[in-house]
Amino acid sequence: MTKNTIAVLLMAAMFLAGCGTAEKTPPASSAADTGGSRKGDFGPPQGEPVHAVLASPPNVPPPTNRHAPAKVIVELEVIEVEKPIAEGVTYTFWTFGGTVPGSFIRVRQGDTVEFHLKNHPGNKMPHNIDLHGVTGPGGGAASSFTAPGHQSTFTFKALNQGLYVYHCATAPVGMHVANGMYGLILIEPPEGLTPVDQEFYVMQGDFYTVGKYREKGHQAFDMQKAIDENATYVLFNGAESALTGPRALKAKTGQHIRMFVGNGGPNLISSFHLIGEIFDKVQYEGGTHFQENVQTTLIPAGGAVTVEFNTEVPGNYVLVDHAIFRAFNKGAVAILEVSGDPRPEIYSGKQGDEVYLSDKLSNPAAVETAALASASGTLTKEQQVKAGEVLFKGTCSACHQDTGAGIPNVFPPLAKSDFLAANHKRAIGIVLNGLTGPVSVNGTTYNSVMPPMSQFNDDEIANILTYVLNSWGNDGGAVTSAEVTAQRAATKRTEGAAH
Amino acid sequence: MSLRNRIVLVLAVLALPLTAPHAGERAASLYQLHERLLNQDGKPIDLDVYRGRKVLVTMFYGSCQATCPLIIDTLRAIERKADPLQRDELRVLLVSFDPERDTPGALREIAATRHIDTTRWTLAHADPSAVRRIAAALGIQYRKLPDGQFSHSTIISVLDAGGGITRQSADIGRADPELVSVINAK
Amino acid sequence: MAPLISLLALVGLAGVAGPPAQAADPGVLIAGGRFESVLPPAPDEKIAVVAPFRLDVALVSNTDFARFVRTRPEWRRNQVAGLFADEGYLRQWSSDTEPGTAIARQPVTYVSWFAASAYCESRGARLPRWYEWELAAAASATSRDARRDPAWRQQILDWYSTSARGALPVTGATPANYYGVRDLHGVVWEWVEDAGSMLVSDDSREQGDPNRNRFCGSGALSLEQKENYAMMMRIAMLSSMKAAYSSGSMGFRCATDAGLHR
Repeated sequence: MTKNTIAVLLMAAMFLAGCGTAEKTPPASSAADTGGSRKGDFGPPQGEPVHAVLASPPNVPPPTNRHAPAKVIVELEVIEVEKPIAEGVTYTFWTFGGTVPGSFIRVRQGDTVEFHLKNHPGNKMPHNIDLHGVTGPGGGAASSFTAPGHQSTFTFKALNQGLYVYHCATAPVGMHVANGMYGLILIEPPEGLTPVDQEFYVMQGDFYTVGKYREKGHQAFDMQKAIDENATYVLFNGAESALTGPRALKAKTGQHIRMFVGNGGPNLISSFHLIGEIFDKVQYEGGTHFQENVQTTLIPAGGAVTVEFNTEVPGNYVLVDHAIFRAFNKGAVAILEVSGDPRPEIYSGKQGDEVYLSDKLSNPAAVETAALASASGTLTKEQQVKAGEVLFKGTCSACHQDTGAGIPNVFPPLAKSDFLAANHKRAIGIVLNGLTGPVSVNGTTYNSVMPPMSQFNDDEIANILTYVLNSWGNDGGAVTSAEVTAQRAATKRTEGAAH
Repeated sequence: MSLRNRIVLVLAVLALPLTAPHAGERAASLYQLHERLLNQDGKPIDLDVYRGRKVLVTMFYGSCQATCPLIIDTLRAIERKADPLQRDELRVLLVSFDPERDTPGALREIAATRHIDTTRWTLAHADPSAVRRIAAALGIQYRKLPDGQFSHSTIISVLDAGGGITRQSADIGRADPELVSVINAK
Repeated sequence: MAPLISLLALVGLAGVAGPPAQAADPGVLIAGGRFESVLPPAPDEKIAVVAPFRLDVALVSNTDFARFVRTRPEWRRNQVAGLFADEGYLRQWSSDTEPGTAIARQPVTYVSWFAASAYCESRGARLPRWYEWELAAAASATSRDARRDPAWRQQILDWYSTSARGALPVTGATPANYYGVRDLHGVVWEWVEDAGSMLVSDDSREQGDPNRNRFCGSGALSLEQKENYAMMMRIAMLSSMKAAYSSGSMGFRCATDAGLHR
């Protein structure tokens, strides 16, 4: 069986698997499928050959505005160049077009692309290119293996629309990719993309150096770390400050923004998120259909995504890989500066800053003291009262009020309560199990619901009741923890009964 | 065995670029290599034995069952597609990778078995270093395996009257139209 | 006039009596033997057998090559046949016969396979074969085969991480390895006699196809020891270069069969 046949079978298997899935789940948008490569051949190129306009990141070439298939000539040069990867740290990058990621290529579905790959004579390594949008062996890699000081040419027809990664595929492939040899090619749908105010080009990559993160000097590639997938840097556009400070992306409020975001890998998947913004539209995986209202989207290694959002509020928005240690400890951070008039009705910024002390347990010290004393057997009535006051104010006062006066006709008073005075022990049961049904206190009938307070422990209930008995003109006395324990044990309660 | 060789050819199609030397290079000619060869009759010849005419040149070896016939069939197919006038002038040069086994006698036998017209075709024997240089000049990769077989790519080149390589093709099994058009061109 | 003539004579003499004469033995004897190569001789045969050979201790320098083209004008860059060299041939030299003093002692680069072969032949030698080169290069300073040593590998990989734009060291400047050979790593790529036998797919990801055994000659297509990236990259480079190509990072040295004749 030839490699050719195997490759064809593999492709067929993947194709068929894809077909099967499509039958089971309906597409996200209502449109039928675009037909893929079977419907992507719009015939021979028409008109004069066009020289593709490439763009360096973070810029994107303008829309092709073509309506018929064309012959497009793409010339891309590989340059090996030493550049900063972080402050004080240099690295030898292998690049397409002198940048990481490489130049952005923009063509239209159905175009015939004549691709010229040039390997600068000052380079040390041979290189080639695999464009994920190419239908053909190796995505072009089999036809573009080029020694330094030479160039290769091959031609392909862009049968499928979409946003595709391209990368070098020369042995060892992982090393070429890890050194920055990746970029994006956009194959526009025949009708073009809807116009937006700005388009940006961002690509994430993981980098592996012998030295530690931000260890100064010239750093070499570390193959073992790459195999272990132990990245030293995770970066947008090939350097820590590639898109921060003066190089931050810039936009205005009220703009419709589109970002073409790729992930060159070599290893890590990106959890792409823009802090402070929501992606109104995500063409997941760089494909044809879209999801809406997305916070964080996955970009596979060797994959891409197109996101769109609208800016409303000025400020700095941070692009991150939300596998968050990569953002804060490995450099996966980029900035989008949005300028414009504030929109306080959408986002006010901080409006107030006051002291906040929780209602509950405003003085937990008293509760602590009582608990310790109880444990050591030295608990005094004063300690119980003090602790009980804190606990009462934290919970019971919500209904019975700080004054113990209750709410007329709703919640009975505890102050000078004849009901309470008649039977102290009954109060223990009420706190533990709650009380429903009519009850007469100080001449008024109340018919409400008191939920069980069994979430308090025995000490706490004893302290609360002791406080109540010694407050607001009640007749004093005390309740011990042991009494509460005994009553709790004697009460049948259903599973999970609590406040 | 034959299957494996067929595979090699397919791999050749996949793996190697079809290039013609571009105009920028100094005028290269295969005949800048001066190599003494022996033809199937044991007669000493030079690489430029067919100087003055267009030549189809490639490399092969006799003891593989699939590749050899396939290369010969392909060369014949190209001949047939050529214009009659061009066909009469066209010559074919096949150099063997395997001087050890493809002696002139063995080459003569191949010519006979395959009904090769030796007035217009030459099967040539070259010593190992000449084989290396000729393969390098034609861009053909080859490797002798421990069992004496050869793993190799196949590239058919068209030479002009002066030996310049005007067109190359890795197509096996059919007449590459690009080669045919170069042969037919004035 | 006389001083000028004397000066010219001196220059002439200097040219003759300069760097080590060709008659001196520039090589060391390497016993060879059985060797597990990154490029197996056959699909089911990982071991290459390397006969004893002599290998130049250092790379061929610009001065060495200049001496060669002075006696062999057909190899000068203004006369070389287009079949044997492309436009880059000896572009770094200041003239057709003079490299210039700045690079005189650096390894000669921008030479094609044909030119390198011709140079070695003029000395009664040849280019090293891939297995010979690989065997010699597997050694570190202290060990005959250091290929599993991560530190040795990283040191070699470090070379790939440097730019090709810096000046080359003079020939023989790097430390000698176990065999006494220098400059095998960290300087330039090197031509080998069987550069046309690498038979590596242009798409490196086709390596290691599980159906290898069904393919004729796929031993040459499948690179073993995938962690031996340093060697893989050398093979990748060699397979990207046609015989007439030259590169600023590609140089060479010579070898001979060991034995009675040299």
